[in-house]
Amino acid sequence: MSEEPSRLARRGFLQAGGLLLAGLACPCPSRAAGVVEIRMRSDPQGATVWFDPIGLWIAPGQSVRWVVEANVHTTTAYHPKNADHSLRIPEGAAPWDSGYLVQPGAHFEAMLTVEGVYDFYCMPHEAAGMVGRIVVGHPAGPGTLPFDYFKGRPGTENWQPVPEMAQKAFPSIAAIMAQKVVRCG
Amino acid sequence: MKQLTIRSMALVLGLLALAGCAGSVGAQQTAPPPEFKKVSTLVPLADYIPGLGTLFVDPKTLPAGPFLAYNKQGKLVSSVYMIPIKDIDAHKKFEDLGVAKGMVPQRVELYFNAGHPGVPEPHYHVILWYVGEDEEPK
Repeated sequence: MSEEPSRLARRGFLQAGGLLLAGLACPCPSRAAGVVEIRMRSDPQGATVWFDPIGLWIAPGQSVRWVVEANVHTTTAYHPKNADHSLRIPEGAAPWDSGYLVQPGAHFEAMLTVEGVYDFYCMPHEAAGMVGRIVVGHPAGPGTLPFDYFKGRPGTENWQPVPEMAQKAFPSIAAIMAQKVVRCG
Repeated sequence: MKQLTIRSMALVLGLLALAGCAGSVGAQQTAPPPEFKKVSTLVPLADYIPGLGTLFVDPKTLPAGPFLAYNKQGKLVSSVYMIPIKDIDAHKKFEDLGVAKGMVPQRVELYFNAGHPGVPEPHYHVILWYVGEDEEPK
């Protein structure tokens, strides 16, 4: 059902390495396909869960499709409209929430048009660190700021902090810009 | 992590002690008691979960359970308890957890789960198996 993490890590390293070499030739977001796919993965016991890739650099107007490979997941933007989560997508961008995707193969698609950084999470697995980050065009917006940037600002009293495990899991913007595709491991 | 394992083992021993007593669940071997609802009707989960089976729970007992797990033939194969890590860290006491009346566990399995609808936070599955490994739901 799922690949061994070590095997995944090895493959991810090779792919990331190849993309890094490609990136040296073309320092621009990936335009390999109109729709970029992110797999929502899990080991058989549900102990380890992750977005694959966890970091992406795409062009404005590209679409992203999240596909369930195993377990139950959501893809949900960090936005106050989603259960008072803090805003970590560009101010002008529309938030998304797939709702629970239960069966393998279930998917959700969103077109990201506003430039900036988009942070997202999986609802049942956020506390375990299942989060992802997409850079659309040039990095900008709240996603570039520290996780506690909103503290003390009026109107943000109900915003939920990003869980510690999730904070640690995000790939850096610099790594995404350098590699275009960042995988776990 | 070692400390967590020791705590978890203590938890299992406690649950095993409970399993030996006459409980309040009154589970039947081929059908759950009426107060138990199929988990997939309560939260967005698949009807049948590989490795666990079809789960039933009395909603009043969430999140700890017990969850009663049935195989595809409708036979009770295990009782599952779901214990959030934060409750273990907070030294929370769990008492009067129900048991499947008359069932004798053959072995206990305990493993980490990152979360799922119904228990959307890191937790441990504590499973009292009533069948051998060859009869586990695949």
